Amino acid sequence: MPKVTINGNTIEVPAGTSVIKAAQLLNIPIAHYCWHEGLSVAGACRMCMVEVEKMPKLQVACNTTVTDGMVVFTNTEKVKTAVKWALDFHLINHPLDCPICDQAGECKLQDYYMSYGLYTPEMNQPKVKKEKVVSLGDRVVLDQERCILCSRCVRFTKEVTKTHELGIFNRGDRSQLATFEGRPLNNNYSVNTVDICPVGALTSKDFRFKQRVWFLKEFDSICNGCSTGCNVTISYNQNGVFRVKPRVNHDVNGFWMCDSGRDIYKYTNKEFRLTQVVERSEKLGGDAVRGKPVALALQEIGRQLSQVIKNKGAQSVGLVWSGQYTNEEYSSMGRFFKDLGVSQFYHWKNNEKDFDSFDGILKRGDLNPNTAGLKKELAGLKSWADFEKQVSPLEMIFVMGPENFGAYSDLEENVKVIKKAKEVVWFTACESSLLKEFKWLIPAKSFVEKSGTFVNSKGLAQAFKAGLTIVPDAVSLEEAVKGMQESARMVS
Amino acid sequence: MEVKLLSEHYDKKEFRHLEGYQKLGGYSALKKALKMKPEEIVAEVKNSGLRGRGGAGFPTGMKWGFLPQNGEPRFLLCNADEGEPGTFKDRLMMERAPHQLIEGMIIAAFGIKSQKSYIYIRGEYYQPYKIVEKAIEEAYKAGLLGKNILGSGFDHEMDVYRGAGAYIVGEETALISSLEGKKGQPKLKPPFPAVKGYLEKPTIVNNVETLAAVPWIINNGAQGYKKYGTEKSPGTKLFSVSGNVNKPGVYEVPLAYSFKDLLENECGGMKPGFKLKALIPGGSSCPVLNYDEAMKATMDYECMSQMGSMLGSGGVIVIDDKQCMVDLLNVLMHFYHHESCGQCTPCREGTGWMEKLSSSIGAGRAQLSDITLLDKVARQMMGTTICALSDAAALPVISFVSKFRDEFEFHIHEKKCKVKGHCHAQSHH
Amino acid sequence: MSVVKRPSQKSKWYIPGVLTGLGITIRHMFFNLLHRKDIFTIEYPEERYPYSDRFKGNHILTVKKDGSLRCTACMLCATYCPAECISITAAEHDDPNVEKYPISYEIDILRCVFCGLCEEACPVDAIRMGPEHQTAALAGSRFVYDINKLAYRPNLKGGVLSHVDDEERKARGL
Repeated sequence: MPKVTINGNTIEVPAGTSVIKAAQLLNIPIAHYCWHEGLSVAGACRMCMVEVEKMPKLQVACNTTVTDGMVVFTNTEKVKTAVKWALDFHLINHPLDCPICDQAGECKLQDYYMSYGLYTPEMNQPKVKKEKVVSLGDRVVLDQERCILCSRCVRFTKEVTKTHELGIFNRGDRSQLATFEGRPLNNNYSVNTVDICPVGALTSKDFRFKQRVWFLKEFDSICNGCSTGCNVTISYNQNGVFRVKPRVNHDVNGFWMCDSGRDIYKYTNKEFRLTQVVERSEKLGGDAVRGKPVALALQEIGRQLSQVIKNKGAQSVGLVWSGQYTNEEYSSMGRFFKDLGVSQFYHWKNNEKDFDSFDGILKRGDLNPNTAGLKKELAGLKSWADFEKQVSPLEMIFVMGPENFGAYSDLEENVKVIKKAKEVVWFTACESSLLKEFKWLIPAKSFVEKSGTFVNSKGLAQAFKAGLTIVPDAVSLEEAVKGMQESARMVS
Repeated sequence: MEVKLLSEHYDKKEFRHLEGYQKLGGYSALKKALKMKPEEIVAEVKNSGLRGRGGAGFPTGMKWGFLPQNGEPRFLLCNADEGEPGTFKDRLMMERAPHQLIEGMIIAAFGIKSQKSYIYIRGEYYQPYKIVEKAIEEAYKAGLLGKNILGSGFDHEMDVYRGAGAYIVGEETALISSLEGKKGQPKLKPPFPAVKGYLEKPTIVNNVETLAAVPWIINNGAQGYKKYGTEKSPGTKLFSVSGNVNKPGVYEVPLAYSFKDLLENECGGMKPGFKLKALIPGGSSCPVLNYDEAMKATMDYECMSQMGSMLGSGGVIVIDDKQCMVDLLNVLMHFYHHESCGQCTPCREGTGWMEKLSSSIGAGRAQLSDITLLDKVARQMMGTTICALSDAAALPVISFVSKFRDEFEFHIHEKKCKVKGHCHAQSHH
Repeated sequence: MSVVKRPSQKSKWYIPGVLTGLGITIRHMFFNLLHRKDIFTIEYPEERYPYSDRFKGNHILTVKKDGSLRCTACMLCATYCPAECISITAAEHDDPNVEKYPISYEIDILRCVFCGLCEEACPVDAIRMGPEHQTAALAGSRFVYDINKLAYRPNLKGGVLSHVDDEERKARGL
């Protein structure tokens, strides 16, 4: 393994490592735009200049492979001047519309200007004008003036999605990024190009102008969009959740995530959520009544549950599970009901047909984050077909419904099946008109509001933490168990 | 004195066709070469000290020696994308002696054990393209190309490919990109083409003149070639002389021939009424030499690098005293701005910036500090990019500004041209 | 502990002091009755004191020549505002050269501390502190100023221009 010394710090790296990667391991910052660990080397931005001992010219750190005994400097005057000017060349035709640019605040041009800027700009010539607000596809907008032509996005569509929608056309400073004619950027990974764009050239239509990034706070989580379990960072503030970005994890998602995963945050925001307990009973005249404190509601459900078990036996209670809850919730809820003698557990899948499909990059047909965890925690799950056969005699069923209704394409038909049961207690994060006939609707916490563990399709258990509270009344299944257990035991 | 090793028969019409070429001694080197071992050919070329005639002057034999010996298929590419302003020797060579090039290529291909070669001709060279294509056809018919060449058991295929009009494709890796069907942009080095070139296979790219010199070297031996020129710059070279001289044209002289002699003997001196002011010795990318330097200059690699210039591709641009240097720089800057491929930031943005600066100086809209800025921008572009185009754009700027600063200042101060009173630069945008 | 000693016996002789004071008051009364023009106090709200045109009072959103807002919804004012009284909702403009504009711009004037940081933070001279300072209203909701109030209030007085043109700005070297 070759040893390299950068600014006096020595490190041993695997053969074939580039200088920029070695510097990253040593926590030595090297400015770069075009280099991205998940893509091939372009060597176009010329920002990562370093001085290598015994080499007359400055070298680009991204395309220089470490050799044994190599001595590299990133802090000499020569390097500093080169980086300063490389940055200045990026900026001379930059429109400087930071005030209306969504990237402002997380823009590499701004960041590097603060650390490497040539603070005495000398460009006194008219700038090159290009097109602004070019729609590249359903989710991405391009500003050609802001584009620094680092070609990260082009390489992404070439190497990762292999869909080849993007190209750089024309030459010199007339070069511009664009899509090929008749091939808009509509693949399911298109927003990754926005993430890897170091400047504000590519912006996401969904997030565009919603918030300035400095108003946002972030926390780490796991995507609950499918069973791949991509690691994500979620941006939020007091007004709710605003976007989901991938977080690097080489064992799971690498650097990327799919576009459908980026929509998961929408179901966590207030306007989609069930914010209060909904109760419907004969006593109350059959209409839905909202606003019962959740603790009282759970107590009452516990009481009713024990009544049912007392009068009709534990076999008259069934549980329908979707794969959208955490291991901890499955185990505590499962134990609670098993202790009461209930053992009719059914598995509700999102879509039987393409449940096992996989798009070859990240997205799976199993749109539940924790199907594997459900199967692990609750052995002996019966299938939906069994449920359809056995639903009629059931007195009371508990439905751990999906958090993300959009993922369940056969929701309407399945709700009809569930309606055959007498009493239904439905835990749901989202409000839906389909659910209005059920006896109890309990607001459940969305994945951003609870801590727990998801097991992905490869069997990797990933823990995540709650980031914020959106619906104060919502409960996790663990909390629901706590609320029910006292009253459920009292009577029995 | 002109020494016509390669261009001896260029004036004869029959030399352009296979029959005539063979009559005048053509393809004798190929017959000799096919009896030699490939390694001997490479050694012979290495010993001759032949340097690449495309511009960089890299020793050809050494380049061939970089090929990995692993039996992978390899390619020979002939770089006939002669785009350097001021250079027009390859065109003449292809028009007058297409078989010389083809013979050189077959020998070179035999030496480096390549089965397939391409001649990449710039798109604007339609006539040479037609001629070379026809010559290849003739060679195929005569069994000089194809399977089992002249019964030696060596197979070789050759094709012509026309470029689409980009200067940058004269750079070898950009040429490879273009040939692969991609946008003609230089590739990152390493890996070098000799290791991973065309279609990721080992590839040798040589200039027309380099390859055309190979038959002579095989015929007359490395020592014969070394008789001409100097130790480090052996042999002869074709110079394309342009400018206000009495007889502009292509002249083959031994290297280290003095410029003064070239101008006075071969070119018949300056046109009446014109005096020599400056010289660009090797195509527009080379730093300019002023009168004193030009008079002392000898046309070889060492002398030129001593003087801070380059021999380049041998495009001798003679600049007379009626020529405005600001105007000239404007034209060059427009050219490089137009031709920058746009891949590397310093070149993409810098060439545009320099053009804007030089045209505003020419138009008298600039300040004195803009001359310094122009020089500064050029210096910051040097050596920071993948290929040498940014250097090629920067070098003329640095030399023009340092050697003819008075003309630039005159344009700013007086808002008119020092040489002519009024020149294009004043109205140019 | 320190003992405060009362002033000496002398302070008992306060009557001359009172009379002197009354004398001054009466003198002013007669003076004012005779010279009414020189009276210092004014009778608000019938009479108003002329404030400087540069008084930094209620905000004005400036507009372009065509009457549209100059504001680009960059939210720098909202970022800098120490009282957090500005809330903006941005939207995509039809004209790609404008790109971003506010569909709602609200200032909670009761929270505002009139520090003027919004005016300073603005990169496009879109918000200015105007000369208005009398902001009485009957309902709390009236104190949340929206675009209509901030940019297009009809009786905007004082020396502040609410029309700002890019060319004029350029001519003045801004």
